[in-house]
Amino acid sequence: MNQGSAPRAAAVSPAAAPPRRARPLGGAVAYLLILPAFLLAALIVLWPLATITNISLHDVNRFGQLRGYSGLANFADLWRDPDFIATLWRTAVWTIGVVGGTLILSIPVALVLNRDFYGRGLARIIIMLPWSVSVTMTAVVWRWALNGESGLLNSALRAVGVLDHNVVWLASAATAFPVQIGIGILVSIPFTVTVFLAGLSSVPEDIYEAAALEGASGWQQFRSLTLPMLRPFITLAVVLNVIYVFNSFPIIWVLTQGGPANSTDILVTYLYKLAFRFGQMGQAAGVSIIMFAILLAFTLLYVRLVSRTETPT
Amino acid sequence: MNTKLRRTLVAWALMGPITVVILFPFAVMLVTALKPADEVLQPHWWPRSPQWSNFVAMWDATNFGPALFNSLVVSGFSTLIAVAVSIPAAYALARMPFRGKGAFRQFLLISQMLSPIVLVLGLFQLVVSLGLLDTRLSIVLVYAAFAIAFATWLLQSYFATIPRDLEEAAWVEGASRAKAVRTVFLPLALPAVAVTCIFTFVQAWNEFVLALTLLRSTESYTLPIQIFSLVAGRYTIEWHYVMAAALVATIPVAIVFAAMQRHLVRGLAAGAVK
Amino acid sequence: MKPIFHLMGSAALLGLAGMAQAGDVRITVAEYSSKTGPYFDKMVSQFEEANPDINVIVEVTPWDVMLQKLTTDIAGNANADLAIIGTRWLLDFVEQDIAEPLDSYIDEDFQARFIETFLSPSRMDGQIYGLPVAASARAMYYNKSLFEEAGIDGPPATWEELKEDAAKISALGDDIAGYGLQGKEIETDVYFYYPMWSYGGSILADDGSSGFGSDAAIQAATMYKSLIDAGVTQDGPTAYNREDVQNLFKQGKVGMMITAPFLASQIKDEAPDLNYGIAPIPAGPDGDRGTYGVTDSIIMFANSGNKDEAWQFLDYLFTQEPRSEFTRGEGFLPVNKAVSEEPAFTENEDLKVFASVLPDARFAPVVTGWEEIADVMSSALQRVYLDQATPEEAMTRAADEANRILGK
Repeated sequence: MNQGSAPRAAAVSPAAAPPRRARPLGGAVAYLLILPAFLLAALIVLWPLATITNISLHDVNRFGQLRGYSGLANFADLWRDPDFIATLWRTAVWTIGVVGGTLILSIPVALVLNRDFYGRGLARIIIMLPWSVSVTMTAVVWRWALNGESGLLNSALRAVGVLDHNVVWLASAATAFPVQIGIGILVSIPFTVTVFLAGLSSVPEDIYEAAALEGASGWQQFRSLTLPMLRPFITLAVVLNVIYVFNSFPIIWVLTQGGPANSTDILVTYLYKLAFRFGQMGQAAGVSIIMFAILLAFTLLYVRLVSRTETPT
Repeated sequence: MNTKLRRTLVAWALMGPITVVILFPFAVMLVTALKPADEVLQPHWWPRSPQWSNFVAMWDATNFGPALFNSLVVSGFSTLIAVAVSIPAAYALARMPFRGKGAFRQFLLISQMLSPIVLVLGLFQLVVSLGLLDTRLSIVLVYAAFAIAFATWLLQSYFATIPRDLEEAAWVEGASRAKAVRTVFLPLALPAVAVTCIFTFVQAWNEFVLALTLLRSTESYTLPIQIFSLVAGRYTIEWHYVMAAALVATIPVAIVFAAMQRHLVRGLAAGAVK
Repeated sequence: MKPIFHLMGSAALLGLAGMAQAGDVRITVAEYSSKTGPYFDKMVSQFEEANPDINVIVEVTPWDVMLQKLTTDIAGNANADLAIIGTRWLLDFVEQDIAEPLDSYIDEDFQARFIETFLSPSRMDGQIYGLPVAASARAMYYNKSLFEEAGIDGPPATWEELKEDAAKISALGDDIAGYGLQGKEIETDVYFYYPMWSYGGSILADDGSSGFGSDAAIQAATMYKSLIDAGVTQDGPTAYNREDVQNLFKQGKVGMMITAPFLASQIKDEAPDLNYGIAPIPAGPDGDRGTYGVTDSIIMFANSGNKDEAWQFLDYLFTQEPRSEFTRGEGFLPVNKAVSEEPAFTENEDLKVFASVLPDARFAPVVTGWEEIADVMSSALQRVYLDQATPEEAMTRAADEANRILGK
């Protein structure tokens, strides 16, 4: 392209010109380039964040109308609420359970899918499938399938002989919460496997061949070759999954609404109840701010920790 | 037995359990969707006489067509906007030194951290004060904004792997920076742009909480809330229609994934190490 | 740039005009069933034909998110002119000056259209703030075939009898339960108030404090727990919400359950062969009984700019023909006197039972924070049903929490 005019153009702008021209322009142009993204994101994200912060510091009625400045009273109320503290811990279990389970399952799945075998394309598509359904709909389908009497899960498990009587899965947290974590893992797998597949595809095949020649076992190859190459991808998967799972609302809300007796509540479902059922807008805004602070602290800490362990190696 | 065949058996044996679990909800959807109304509540797996007509009846009963159209419009436009603003931002991050680059990155990460449900009250007031309540434009803008962080990150890590020499060669040939970007850089970046589009589109296609809050008239409902409204608090639920609708709503996305799956991995792989 | 060009071309497609114009009346309605939306569309077109200068916009909202929508709407100052709300929420709307008092619009003739029992919950401080649009009471459905099979003559008159009958029915088969017990989501607490009222208890004591710690409440909770322990309810009641228990009843897997008139109209559509009867809720040892009366009301917002037009639409909606069609379609009790005298209602055996229990009907107490108190009670019951607390412990704790919310 542009071959015809090249000589003439080259005469006008000598080879040394571009870097010189780009430098001073770089700053201003760069700001111009990021401006639209910044404005849109700031408008949609920072503005509401400011609103929420404002609400959390006020006495508000159930319709979110401000009544008077109240300092940290909303936060103090939350701190005194035993349900809130229990929910805080349960959210940690939920997040660690789902993200941990997702990683543990996704790495072997990605390793398998990275090898060449008959039907690999089909296998990859199946792994992707949960992604194509909205999480809310997935939760609705599972709720239907988990029904004690007319649920298809019980009848399937009875048909293959795993169960000999119907289990009422959602009756208590002892069965409901693990099932919810399981569904959480299931919907997180597609994205995570995709990220890991991307990581694996950037590992050159011949390294393995060399390692195999040197007599390294499969596990040794995984420990010393695959895992280090995957590390940045694992970091990415951890950070993004933690953010998504920590904030994830539909699975728990659709299946149990945090019940029975608050035993499956996590922070988002608790926030939703406070705000839209009990009309405690101030406290609900407080929960929002606390959730944001927790995620911020986690992400900064984690990213820092990871980059510290990585730089020396 | 040749090695590939053996590997195939091992691979499918390992994948077997998870495949079953993943396909289970889809089987539930299909089976329930095919049951006649008086069989829906009975937990047997095979409908006595599969009612394919349920899918036709569902289309009218659930107002599926308009919701499908809305979902396409909303997901399409939010993807366009998100990608249109993310490409320049990613280019600046990947190519230009500027003060505040780190701060901008951190800002993007923070915007990714706030979940819609946490912000829902504030977002609603924003949309009202912009006069956009109950318009599809409102969720188009909001979806686009929430997608920017991931889109920009994905694009900039890919952009960083495109060698500078090519653009610089174009400058040498006298092209302006903008022209070099358009004729040399963007064609090379196309795979990443495509991947970003898919991610953004799917995110918007499946989004639920915001649509529920910001859309109020049934004419503007997107698919997830249209289907949800069939199960949320009605005194009786037509499960066979719900499942049929859910199944049909997943098909377009499933097809896109099936077709683009290879590219998704490649797009993510290129520069994610950064 | 191409994308931007496309965007501008499609501004119309995205529908930029969302807000209502002057003269428009917006109404937020709850979706009771798949018939609700079409019903209101029809009413609007009939109304607009007679009033061509008024444009009515209907926003249909699923019940589960109704309160959330109303809250965000009001917080954003973007509420409609009219809305259906649960009458139990009304106090909050009145206290915050969100609901408009309707007395200036209501004349004697208009008021005479209503059955007083259903209008009274919408009256506060001597003013009427809402018009009852849907009303229901609760009674006991029982499966006549199962009763016959178990050799029982008729429905139980007391909770003691209910327990015996439930045991006989449960003995009929593994997947058959005598009494369907709801233990999840909305109205889990209400399912417990029935026996609590029968044992002489009440939600609020005379001094306005919580009645959850009373002997009657503990007795009722102990009785329900004994049903679970005896295995005469369905397994795992805490997994069953109202709709789930109704589904069991429709399938003939449950001998008895307590619910609203709309189950009868569902059975007509979905399980026409089911041989069932409806009876009053059993009485307690002293002959006390209570049923739950529920109304939903249409309110007018105080900040509405089109109050007169909105009222015209309400006036139309509450005439006999529209009321009759709504009440029949959704399976509610008539709130209009004229409607209740129509043969469709007077000759309906099922509805007669519901009408007969109305003198025992009790409505949700008019206190702020009622939803939170109901949640406290539901959680307490779930702990009892799951064996995590004794009835005494759970009820005492529920009373304490309720009193804290009540400020007592």
